Amino acid sequence: MNRRKFLALSAVAVMGLAMVPGVQPAHASTPRLEEELKKRLGVSLAQIKEVPDVKLTAPTIAESGANVPVTVESTIPIERVEHLWIFVDKNPVPWIADVKLTPMNGQVFFSTRIKMGETSNVRAILKLKDGSYVMATKEVKVTAGGCG
Amino acid sequence: MSLSRREFLGHSALALSSLALAPEAFARKHASFEKLMEFKPYGNLTLVFISDFHGHLKPMYFAEPMNLLAPEPLKGTPGYLAGMDFLKFYNIKPGSVEAYMGSCVSFIKLARMYGMTGGGPQVATVIKAIVNERGRDKCLVLDGGDTWATSGIAVKTDGMAVVDWLNYVGFDYMVAHWDVTVGKEKFLDIVKNKLKAKFISYNITEEPFGDLVFPPYDVVERGGVKIGIIGSSFPFTPLANPRVYTEGWSFGVRPDELQKYVNELREKHKVDLVLLLSHDGLPLDIALMKIVKGIDIVISGHTHDITPTPVKVGNTLIVSPGSHGKFVGRMDLDVRNGKLHGYRLKLIPVLSDVVPEDKGARELVKKWYAPYEKEFNTVIGTAQTMLYKRDTVFSTWDRLIGEALADYYHGVDAVMSLDVGTSPGFRWGTTVLPGQRITVEHVYDVLGMTYPEVFIMKRKGRDLLALWEDVADNVFNPNPLYQQGGDMSRIYGVEYELKINTKQGDRIRNVRIKGKPIELDKEYLVAVYGGPPPMGVQPEKKNIREIVIDYIRKKKDVHVDRKPNVKVLDHPYNTDCYWR
Repeated sequence: MNRRKFLALSAVAVMGLAMVPGVQPAHASTPRLEEELKKRLGVSLAQIKEVPDVKLTAPTIAESGANVPVTVESTIPIERVEHLWIFVDKNPVPWIADVKLTPMNGQVFFSTRIKMGETSNVRAILKLKDGSYVMATKEVKVTAGGCG
Repeated sequence: MSLSRREFLGHSALALSSLALAPEAFARKHASFEKLMEFKPYGNLTLVFISDFHGHLKPMYFAEPMNLLAPEPLKGTPGYLAGMDFLKFYNIKPGSVEAYMGSCVSFIKLARMYGMTGGGPQVATVIKAIVNERGRDKCLVLDGGDTWATSGIAVKTDGMAVVDWLNYVGFDYMVAHWDVTVGKEKFLDIVKNKLKAKFISYNITEEPFGDLVFPPYDVVERGGVKIGIIGSSFPFTPLANPRVYTEGWSFGVRPDELQKYVNELREKHKVDLVLLLSHDGLPLDIALMKIVKGIDIVISGHTHDITPTPVKVGNTLIVSPGSHGKFVGRMDLDVRNGKLHGYRLKLIPVLSDVVPEDKGARELVKKWYAPYEKEFNTVIGTAQTMLYKRDTVFSTWDRLIGEALADYYHGVDAVMSLDVGTSPGFRWGTTVLPGQRITVEHVYDVLGMTYPEVFIMKRKGRDLLALWEDVADNVFNPNPLYQQGGDMSRIYGVEYELKINTKQGDRIRNVRIKGKPIELDKEYLVAVYGGPPPMGVQPEKKNIREIVIDYIRKKKDVHVDRKPNVKVLDHPYNTDCYWR
């Protein structure tokens, strides 16, 4: 492949990349979510840091929006954690769960089933003892069905 | 590959002239059984595998798609290579056996030259020949699922004709998708009591506590190699098929659990080799292997892709052996001291006229077919246009089915006629060549659901649009983890423009229903079949197979308009590959 062809190809590739929406970026918020975050946490989404040591397990495509299994766990020592919330950006009410954690919990682990009205980001947010907020985000697709 | 125009013309000329003389002789001369089987043995272990057999115990024609429309980031990658792109990518000569088997290019011409493909007795011959050559103790025989459903004989015998064949050939392991549609109880009975192969799946668990329904993996020794094999059934079975078949079970893509089993096999069982027998689909397996580490080889089914050379992701090799009995995969491996040192792969083309039938398998097929031969062989018409199923958005089979629905529901309640008929984007079916007689079995083979009910309902324009956008996102989402591995619903009575590279809600444009722009608040009369049943709608008296059979009988000579009802805005779209 010559240099010119290579450059042309990369240009195409970059353009394609820029145009493709991909999955919803984790930082993209919704007004409803912001309202709930302000009300319950007192912060905006931009103030919450996405970190790898909070782990959110949920299906990529839900088998039923009425019953989506979600598990939150973290390697952050329980002594440093105060609170856990789960939010679904695009639900009519994004607030899903509110869990107070104490050292008696042993570790950060919470598993539940939630309802989702449509495809949306799901967020697990932890409030740490030092007053900071951290989270994990995963997009869960809710679909009417598909093809075999 | 660079093929000059002259070379290409040379091939076609050769093909044409031989056609005029004696096509069968030509095919036999250029493709002997020995040549098809040719393989220099290698290493100490052999994987023999098929996938997506779709219940085809008899030879058939099956045309690969003219188009595999890809979202931009996946364009040109395995899983999205059709026609000339496929031939170039794998360096295959147009007109060759491999080109006939793996691409749409000149399909009609080549089909007349090389004949039908697959067939239970033929596939049995190939598998048994490999096993005999290598020795049973060195071979692992695998089936990737979609095996005993979706054909005439599968529907008539609740899958048992194919189960009997699997047992006869001697498969070791399998996973599932459509196989569950014989009914949950029957499926469990087959897997537990009838099937000799072991059924393994790490991603089928009981709701709500997550207990495994089947063994997630097995450990087996072959050729002195300790092998750990994990099974993955189709992750979206509960969504793609009526929920009743998997009631109480949860599926899904579960990278963490998969990684846990890989680690368990390596650390606890000290295996030399880890295999994944998967019905995830090729694009999804490629994405998944970027997350899960430590799997040596994935045998990947579901999307019917053909990979003459493996797709490499890190240290993992992914192989997809096509569908409908067209290929038997043979992969010889050199595994020593707990490590895969090398491999040799061939997807052996099963040309039905060239591969001799296995006697026992032929008897078995004959026995199972006997009660149905008369019905299956009933001629109902002649195809004047090639009837094919595969393509991302449109096919002649689906247009014919749409026409049949529109004809049957013309003037349903004296006021309304059918506005829209949707046909699911299954990747299985059959092909009927121009001039070939259409039989009842062909209709079964393209509409072989165990749930052939048709549902008629009224739906607002906006709801239809939302539904089609939803399906489009399952097909065109740029992240394979969010795709379902099927094709787009075929929407009869509707014309639209499709933009692939945009977000859900923006892909389907300029929709016209019966020639008029869609009205969002207007109610349309819609016919659907082949998916999860719509809630609260009673099935119609006549099922889809009966409607289509009657329509073909009425028409006798079946001409189908080849012009697609979809205009693809941001991807090339081929419409003449088969006819070249």
